[in-house]
Amino acid sequence: MANRDASTRRRFLALSAAAATGLAGCAGGGQETQTTTTGTTTGGSGGDFDLDTFQGSGSLAENRPELSGTRIEDLPDLSGTLNIYLGGGEGGLYRNLLNRLRKIYPDFDPKVRSAPTAQLANTLVEEAKGGSTPADLFWAVDAGSLGYVADQGLTAKLPSRVTDPVPENFHPDDQWVGVAGRARAIPYNTNKLSAEDIPNKVAQFTESDALAGSMGWAPTYGAFQAFVTAMRILRGEQETKNWLRGMVNQKVTEYPDEFLTSNAVADGEISAGFANHYYVLRVISSRPDAPISLTFTNNDAASLVNVSGAQVLKSSNKQELATNFVAHLLTVEAQEFFATRAFSYPMIPGVPPVGGLPPIDELNPPEIDLRKLSNLEPTLRLMREVGVL
Amino acid sequence: MNVFDRIEEFARRRGIGVAEKGESLPVGVTLLTAGIAIAVVSPILWILLRAADVGVDSSIALLARPSMVEILTNSVALVTTVTVACVLLGVPLAVLTVETDLPFRRFWTVILALPLVVPSYIGAFAFVSAFGPRGVLADALAPLGVESIPQIYGFTGTALVLTLYVYPYVFLTTRASLLSFDGTLVEAARTLNHSRREAFRAITLPQITPGIAAGALLVALYTLSDFGTPAIMHFGVFTQAIYVEFSTFGRDTAALLSLELLAVTAVIVALESRIGGRGRESYAGGGNRTTRTSLGAWKIPALLFCTAIAALSLAVPLGVLFMWLTRSGPGFAGGGFAFEWTYGWNSAYVSALAAAVATLAAIPVGYLAARYRSTLTSLFDRATYVGYATPGIVLGISLVYFGSSYAPTLYQTVPLLVFAYVVRFLPQAVGTTRSSVLQVDAKLVEAARTLGRTPASAFRNVTLPLIAPGVVAGAALVFLTTMKELPATLLLRPTGFETLVTYIWRVQDAGYYGQAAVPALVLVAVSALSMLVLLKQDGSLVSQEGENDA
Repeated sequence: MANRDASTRRRFLALSAAAATGLAGCAGGGQETQTTTTGTTTGGSGGDFDLDTFQGSGSLAENRPELSGTRIEDLPDLSGTLNIYLGGGEGGLYRNLLNRLRKIYPDFDPKVRSAPTAQLANTLVEEAKGGSTPADLFWAVDAGSLGYVADQGLTAKLPSRVTDPVPENFHPDDQWVGVAGRARAIPYNTNKLSAEDIPNKVAQFTESDALAGSMGWAPTYGAFQAFVTAMRILRGEQETKNWLRGMVNQKVTEYPDEFLTSNAVADGEISAGFANHYYVLRVISSRPDAPISLTFTNNDAASLVNVSGAQVLKSSNKQELATNFVAHLLTVEAQEFFATRAFSYPMIPGVPPVGGLPPIDELNPPEIDLRKLSNLEPTLRLMREVGVL
Repeated sequence: MNVFDRIEEFARRRGIGVAEKGESLPVGVTLLTAGIAIAVVSPILWILLRAADVGVDSSIALLARPSMVEILTNSVALVTTVTVACVLLGVPLAVLTVETDLPFRRFWTVILALPLVVPSYIGAFAFVSAFGPRGVLADALAPLGVESIPQIYGFTGTALVLTLYVYPYVFLTTRASLLSFDGTLVEAARTLNHSRREAFRAITLPQITPGIAAGALLVALYTLSDFGTPAIMHFGVFTQAIYVEFSTFGRDTAALLSLELLAVTAVIVALESRIGGRGRESYAGGGNRTTRTSLGAWKIPALLFCTAIAALSLAVPLGVLFMWLTRSGPGFAGGGFAFEWTYGWNSAYVSALAAAVATLAAIPVGYLAARYRSTLTSLFDRATYVGYATPGIVLGISLVYFGSSYAPTLYQTVPLLVFAYVVRFLPQAVGTTRSSVLQVDAKLVEAARTLGRTPASAFRNVTLPLIAPGVVAGAALVFLTTMKELPATLLLRPTGFETLVTYIWRVQDAGYYGQAAVPALVLVAVSALSMLVLLKQDGSLVSQEGENDA
């Protein structure tokens, strides 16, 4: 899965810096970088507070509407050392955000420890068993890990002034709060299909004539396996097996990952596929003229939304700093950073997602305990039984 | 011929001395060895603690689950297949490079040992991108109308990739046995009208069996503990199941699986003791070789065989890495992903420390096991293998617990990290040290003692110089495996301490494979240097030089 993926991603990155064309489907004026509506805040440190420095570049970052919400300048200064356990590989981008914050606050010294999310969650629990953890804050790309650490009673409750702007289901008990979201989506080729051709229930995909022989998926990919896990939890093993078999009968094509699946949709190799929404946006960003768009199913496993979130450890003696840091992750600037650079779903209503996507509260994800998604083993077993793994 | 060679020559002529059985153990060294053995086994306590939380009834129910049975059978099948395949690959290659007139023998010795420096997760990744669905090969064949190529995922791919990256263990240990074994015996057999093949089977094979067994043991235990390859190739084995349990927060089940894995390890170690233990004395000997087998018409097939192995195990991953490098374009400005050369320095630094500590610990263990063979000393010796078969993630979590409980000042510092590496890789140093000690004539030590030397002084002045090459080879082996270690490094490193592998993990996890190319190439290059040190020390390159002159 590596080389093509790598090269294309890299190409996207190169292109996205240069691209000046508007996104198809998004009202497209072709201005270079639009600063008028987003505006610059008037912080004392001059350019450091500039929203532009948080905003990404490229077609998807253009024509951003007026943004609203808490700004960095509204919050108390960050100061002192903060031990952050950072779970997951998006860490590179997150470190970039940390560096920006460090520029604004020279006294702020975040110490980052990164490892796979679940391993850090296990580490936190073992540390707590052994005495105490050096961590002040856990920032993870997966809500399941956050829920697990909270269940062990290791976290402090976040104040409502921090969590209030975020939709309820992304801070169910205030033991953690979502800072950036990702949604399961159905990318489709706009030359071959229209949004109406795609059933709004994934269960109907196996009977759809429009999708017969023309879909792609990446069964070895983690995000896809999480989707199958959700289906298994929501509909049971037997129905999930039947659905997988049905898709095999539809002659679904296998890809190594969902970025390549999305690219294959753009190429017309397949008409539609399964992918996380941001992979589709990465394709759109790198190839603004490609005939690709995305749609969502309704209240089923294929419309799952998962989040990256943060929580403060109860044992930390830096409660105030850690909480203030979480508040910073939910500022307009940080949310705009996630939206335009990682193509994530922002968590505050004042910052809409890029690419003309519906805002997060208009999606209709299934009700599911996200931490159950990490129970992968039965999923892998049934995928193997059906022969898709 | 220097002094060292002369002493060795002398030792060889006198036959190989091993202390008489029943000779009493030196108390100091025995206590030291016991301490080392206990220290390296101690992290396993965590497994017992957590597994005890499960309770007997639910343990039995859990282990009897069909999926668990499948994991056990999968693991056993994989270990058996990979070990047999490595022996079938490693032994002929060792024989070719030592016993025959294969052209460019020194070149092939280095090339055929090198796959060991490629981390298996990089190898597996390269194989998937080369031979997987929509991979390089599929893309190349697509215009020719080839719709699908055989599935690389699953058992076949896992076994293939592991074999290609770990057979050098067998290759190296078999070479060492062949080089130290007295060729005049074969000559004698030949004069008695035995064919080459008969002579090999009757004389050479029994002599080198312990060497093959030692390499096969390392292969079997590495296969059991490797996570990257089965994970990337989607094959359900112990490490993969343990990893899944950790991801689903079933730490108790993970501990239980680890316990089962350790039981399998014990069986493997015991098996090797039966094969390798017999006639271990004869593991050592003199490299008295007068003639080489002429390959004749087999020269071309032999060269093709070596080339094919090198192409699969080295050209594929290096090719893919270079492809990532050249395709990566003007670059992603993300500050969080910028590569820094200090990562390389950090890797080399902790690896060198691990090699040094492992070597110091290996000397008493290996010395005792070789010199005073008893149940107790071989127990200490075998105990060091436990950590080697423990998956890095289990060891990592275990030390997270012990570190934060009992040594908070050491937790998340370099010393604890180095301890983890020593637990993981000590047997590699113990193995080479033990076989070196076996080659030292005990009568030399006695002579020094009768000349009034203390045991310590005799060891320093007689034994140590003689075993130095083996000890350094062990250090090089520990160094290069530490360079590749990922899971324990991620969990135990000091905060903010990045090494080559943690950086590779970070960029690969985020999908920026192009960024992984440079650190991966640096990793392979530095490890390759230590492989050269290793080959020089075990005499492979040096002695061949001499033979080529002759």
